[in-house]
Amino acid sequence: MKVHVDMSICLLHGQCVIAAPEVFSFDDDGGLVWLAEVDESLAADVEAASDACPEQAIVIG
Amino acid sequence: MTQQEILSTDALPYLDIADADFSIRSQAVLDARDAAWCARTPYGLAVLRYDDVQKMLRHPKLRQGSYRWPAHSGVTGGAFARWWEQMLLSQEGSEHARLRRMANPAFSPKLISSLIPKFQALANRLIDGFAEKGECDFIAEFTEPYATGVICDLLGLPFEKWRELADIAGDMGLALAVSYKRDQATVDAATERLFAYAEELVALRRAEPSEDFIGMLVRANADTDQLSDQELLDMIVLAIFGGIDTTRNQLGLAMAMFIEHPEQWALLAEQPDLARPAVEEVMRVRPTVTWVTREATETFTYNGTEIPQGTTVHLFSQSAASDPAVFETTDFDITAKRKPHFGFGGGTHHCLGHFIARGDMTEALKLLAQRLKNPRFNGEVLWLPDSGNTGATAMPIAFDAA
Repeated sequence: MKVHVDMSICLLHGQCVIAAPEVFSFDDDGGLVWLAEVDESLAADVEAASDACPEQAIVIG
Repeated sequence: MTQQEILSTDALPYLDIADADFSIRSQAVLDARDAAWCARTPYGLAVLRYDDVQKMLRHPKLRQGSYRWPAHSGVTGGAFARWWEQMLLSQEGSEHARLRRMANPAFSPKLISSLIPKFQALANRLIDGFAEKGECDFIAEFTEPYATGVICDLLGLPFEKWRELADIAGDMGLALAVSYKRDQATVDAATERLFAYAEELVALRRAEPSEDFIGMLVRANADTDQLSDQELLDMIVLAIFGGIDTTRNQLGLAMAMFIEHPEQWALLAEQPDLARPAVEEVMRVRPTVTWVTREATETFTYNGTEIPQGTTVHLFSQSAASDPAVFETTDFDITAKRKPHFGFGGGTHHCLGHFIARGDMTEALKLLAQRLKNPRFNGEVLWLPDSGNTGATAMPIAFDAA
């Protein structure tokens, strides 16, 4: 599955990092990085991250 | 050297936020915001400007700081302090992440659409109760039963339970004002009652499993490594307490703002779709949570100011979200496009229940604006201190029924 984050609305709360740490993380400068293509085995985590995002910035393709 | 001495050498403005008469909306706060990015306080520092609040909400050297609130208020021990210091909001790192993951599914935005008709029915039922009189106490007759009724819906409790829950939440909420120590006996008695209530709910769901909020948490608790018995109860108490006091206060603050801006209320009645942005605009200019608390986990320098380890930093949500450096016009305007406010905090501790709060307040404002015309104050409004978690405790209003 494809994962995209709309950085124009992301406020870097980090709820996705809590919900799906294997997919989303912060780099050393505090920027959000994520895997653009993830295995279906992580689908539930990605959906939990998408749900938990306060700004609803995560798009699952 | 104590923290106080280090900070007192600084040339920063000073705000006595521990004084019950201190107002978050005072000229002193505006002057301090003009003068410097932060002010000294009896607790530590207050951050006043938009960009700094936004950065510090998720600064890696700051942790959530309100776990020290009981100690700051001179309270040690008691049921409230025990719960407050151990529940989700006071945890950090992997412990916080574990608890947050357990709680998130119960607050998913996917659950909101099914709740909207319930919010509408509840709001209409309450308005029906006073519409013909042309007056009401907006807190006692609307915001309190509404905020509590929403929780009853979420927990699968009959609406008739609202009074009992509202009384408990109101008494517990006294802990969040600067007068906590004075009210400690009342606060702790209420906390013990809510825990007894949570235990009853858990026993019912263990006997009869369900798909609602408590049911989900009880299932997670089946594996006590995931969620212990105590954590289960702490989480339920947080959900009940966190949802009642805040929504009750925020809707009262909303009505006060609209009474002071009648043209905005008329606009909302004409254009119900403005209810959603209206919630955001009210929370920008008049949030019930007037500050968010952080604490320095190590000494660091920010904007040229050394912030020693252990310093309490209050992020002023209201002051930041009316910062003229960011907002061209800061007047109350529900049609304006705004940058995000900080009324739900932010970062790893961003409010768990915000989808529900946004949903229930939107429906309430929509229906209120359509059914209550020309609302005005109709007697003395009683207020909590205008700091910490604020709001009205009584608000007599008169209106013309539509």
